[in-house]
Amino acid sequence: MSLTRMFKILRKDLALGPRSPIFLWAIILPFALTLILQVAFGSLFAAKPRMAVVDEGASEITASLRKMDGIELTVLDTPEELKKQVKANDVDAGLVLPRGFDDAVRSGEKPLLELYIGGESLSSNRLILSVTTLDLVREVEGTAPPVDVRIENFGNEGLPVSVRLVPVIMMYALFIAGAFVPSSSLVEEKENGTLSALLVSPVKASEVLVAKALLGTILAFVMAFMTLVLNNALGGQPLVLVLVIVWASAFSAVLGIVIGTAAKDSASMFTLVKGSGIFLFAPVAFYLFPEWPQWIAKLFPTFWAIDPIWQVAVLGKGLDAVWVDLVVSLGIALALVPVIGVLSRRMQRVLVAE
Amino acid sequence: MTEAAIKVEDITYAYGDLLAVKGISFEVQPGEILGFLGPNGAGKSTTIKMLTGQVAPKGGRAQILGADITLDDPDIQARIGVCFEEKNLYLAMSAKENLDFFASLYGIKDPDSLEILRRVGLADRAKDRVKTYSKGMRQRMMISRAFINKPDVLFLDEPTDGLDPVTSASIRATIKEEAARGAAVLLTTHDMFEADELSDRVAFINDGVIVAIDTPENLKLKYGKRSVKIRLRNGSGVREETVALDTPQSGELLKEVVGSGEVLTIHTEEATLEDIFIQMTGRGLVG
Ligand SMILES: Nc1ncnc2c1ncn2[C@@H]1O[C@H](COP(=O)(O)OP(=O)(O)OP(=O)(O)O)[C@@H](O)[C@H]1O
Ligand SMILES: [Mg+2]
Repeated sequence: MSLTRMFKILRKDLALGPRSPIFLWAIILPFALTLILQVAFGSLFAAKPRMAVVDEGASEITASLRKMDGIELTVLDTPEELKKQVKANDVDAGLVLPRGFDDAVRSGEKPLLELYIGGESLSSNRLILSVTTLDLVREVEGTAPPVDVRIENFGNEGLPVSVRLVPVIMMYALFIAGAFVPSSSLVEEKENGTLSALLVSPVKASEVLVAKALLGTILAFVMAFMTLVLNNALGGQPLVLVLVIVWASAFSAVLGIVIGTAAKDSASMFTLVKGSGIFLFAPVAFYLFPEWPQWIAKLFPTFWAIDPIWQVAVLGKGLDAVWVDLVVSLGIALALVPVIGVLSRRMQRVLVAE
Repeated sequence: MTEAAIKVEDITYAYGDLLAVKGISFEVQPGEILGFLGPNGAGKSTTIKMLTGQVAPKGGRAQILGADITLDDPDIQARIGVCFEEKNLYLAMSAKENLDFFASLYGIKDPDSLEILRRVGLADRAKDRVKTYSKGMRQRMMISRAFINKPDVLFLDEPTDGLDPVTSASIRATIKEEAARGAAVLLTTHDMFEADELSDRVAFINDGVIVAIDTPENLKLKYGKRSVKIRLRNGSGVREETVALDTPQSGELLKEVVGSGEVLTIHTEEATLEDIFIQMTGRGLVG
C-alpha cells in the first residue's frame, strides 16, 4: 500500500467534494437539523418551569424555590395578579402562601395551600412544580413523610430535550458525513467506471478504500465538532473530546466503507442505508427517551461510538468514563476489517461483470 | 529478437457458463501494433480485461513486460496505458485535472497534460469540465489518458469509436506515433479499414478464438481473391461481369469479356479484410 497514492486520491476527493451535491448536503444537513430542532424543541421544552409566588409572610418555601436552579421564580404581590398571570400562561403555576403558613404547617394544622396551574402549561412542568411544592411543604413540616417518596429523574438528571437531542443530531452528522459520503463516493466511482481506471493504474483497492475512509473521518470530525459547538456541548476536557470525536468519526467511516464495498450501485446502496438506518440510529433514541430500558441501547454497535461523545461532550466526563466504550467500538471496527476485505474482493469481481 | 511486450498463451475466460474467450495465444512486440478485428461479442474486450488485470483468466498464462498478469504488480501497471471501451472519466473535473490526477498516481512529477491534450485536439478545452464535452471529445479524452504515462504497452479498446472520419484519422496517427516511440499496442476494432491501416498485424477473432493472425498483406495474399469488375453496354441495357485474376484462365476470360461489348468501367477489386473474415468465419464484422 502506498501512502502517497492514497493521499493523492484523498486530495482528489476533497477537491471534488464541493462539486458533489451529496457532499454539500452532508455539510448543510446537521446545521439545518440543529437549527430546526433547537427552534422546535429547544425553546419549547428547554424553558424552565415558571412559578409565581405570592408570599404574604416570609415562608421558607419561597426562599427554597429561589435557590432552585431548575425553576424560574416570579414573586408577585397579590393573588389576583397571580391568577391573571397563570391564566395568561405567563407562568406555568402560581402558589399563594398565606401569612403564618410555615408555622401552621409545623403545628400540624394542615392549612390551605392554593396552587393554581395554567391550563396551557406543559404537563411535565405541572408535575415538576406540584411535586416540588409538596416536597418543600414536607421540608417545612420537618417530619418524615409517611411514605418514602423518592423522586427519580429519569436517566440524565432531567436534562432538557434540547440536550438529549444532541446525540440524534450528532449521529446524523456522523453518519451522513462519515458513512454516507465515503460510501456514495465509492459507489459513484463504481458506477462511472472510474474505479476500474484507478485499479488498472498502480493504485490498489486498499488505497482507494483507505482514502475514502479518511475522507469520511475528516468530514465527520469537522461536522461532529461543529454540531457540538452549535449545541454548546463541549465538555471540560478538550483533548478527550477530540479523541472521542475522532474515534466516532473513524467508526462511522468504517461503516461507510462496509456499505460502499457491499453496494454494487446507488440503488442497492440506498436500500442498504435504509435497511441499516434504523439499526444505526436506534441507540440515540434511548438518550431521547430516558424512561426506556437503557441497556437495550448497548446492543447496537453504534452506541459504543456515540456514547463517549455523550459522556464527554454533554456530561463533561473524562477518559475513565469512556474507555470501555472506546475499547468495545475499536473491537467492532477491527471485526469489520476482514468483512471489508471479503467485500472488496467481491467488489473487484462484480466491477467487471457489470 | 527482443522479448515480447505482451505474451499470451492459451488464455480462457468464462462469464458463468458462457465461454467468452476459448484459449487464445499471441504475442505483441515492442513498437508493434496488433489489431484485434472481430464482430460484437467475439471476446475482444474480455481479452483486454484479462491482460489489464481487471479479471483473472480461468486458464492459460499471460505476461506483460515479462511479468505474469496475475501478480498485479504496480511497477508493471505503471508501464501500461488503457483506453476502456466504456468511457470512465471524472466528469466533474476538467480535462487537465483528469490527466494531472492520473499522472500523479503514476508518480509523474510535472505531467505535460496540455501537450497530450493538444495531440488529441483538446488543448483549447483543457480547463472545461469533461461533463461539458461531446461524445467524441470524451472519447479523445479517454485516449489521451491512456498516453499520460508514456506507456510501454497500450491497450486500446475501440479507440476511434464514435469519432468523425477526420478525427479518427488524426487519432490513428497519434497511435502510430506511440508505436514508433516503442510502445506495443493492442487495439480492438470492428472497422476493417482501421485494422488494415493501423495494424502491423491483424488477429481475426470470432466466437472467442483467433481464426487467423498475420499482416494485412499476407492475409489478403493468402485468403483474398483479386478480381476485375467490368461494366458493359449490352444493347439497351448494362451488363456487369466479374473476372477472377488468380486463375490460369484469367487472361483468356478477360479478353473475352472486354471484347463482348462496349466497356463502360473497369475496376480491379482487392479482397478486403472483411471479405476474408466472412470467408473464414461465415459471418460479417457487423451484426
Ligand atoms: N459482464 C458480462 N457478463 C456476462 N457475459 C459477458 C459480460 N461481458 C461480456 N460477456 C459476454 O462475453 C462475450 C464476449 O464479450 P466481449 O465484451 O469480450 O466482446 P467484444 O468482442 O468486446 O464485443 P464488442 O465488439 O461488442 O465490444 C459475449 O458473448 C458477451 O455476451
Ligand atoms: Mg468490446
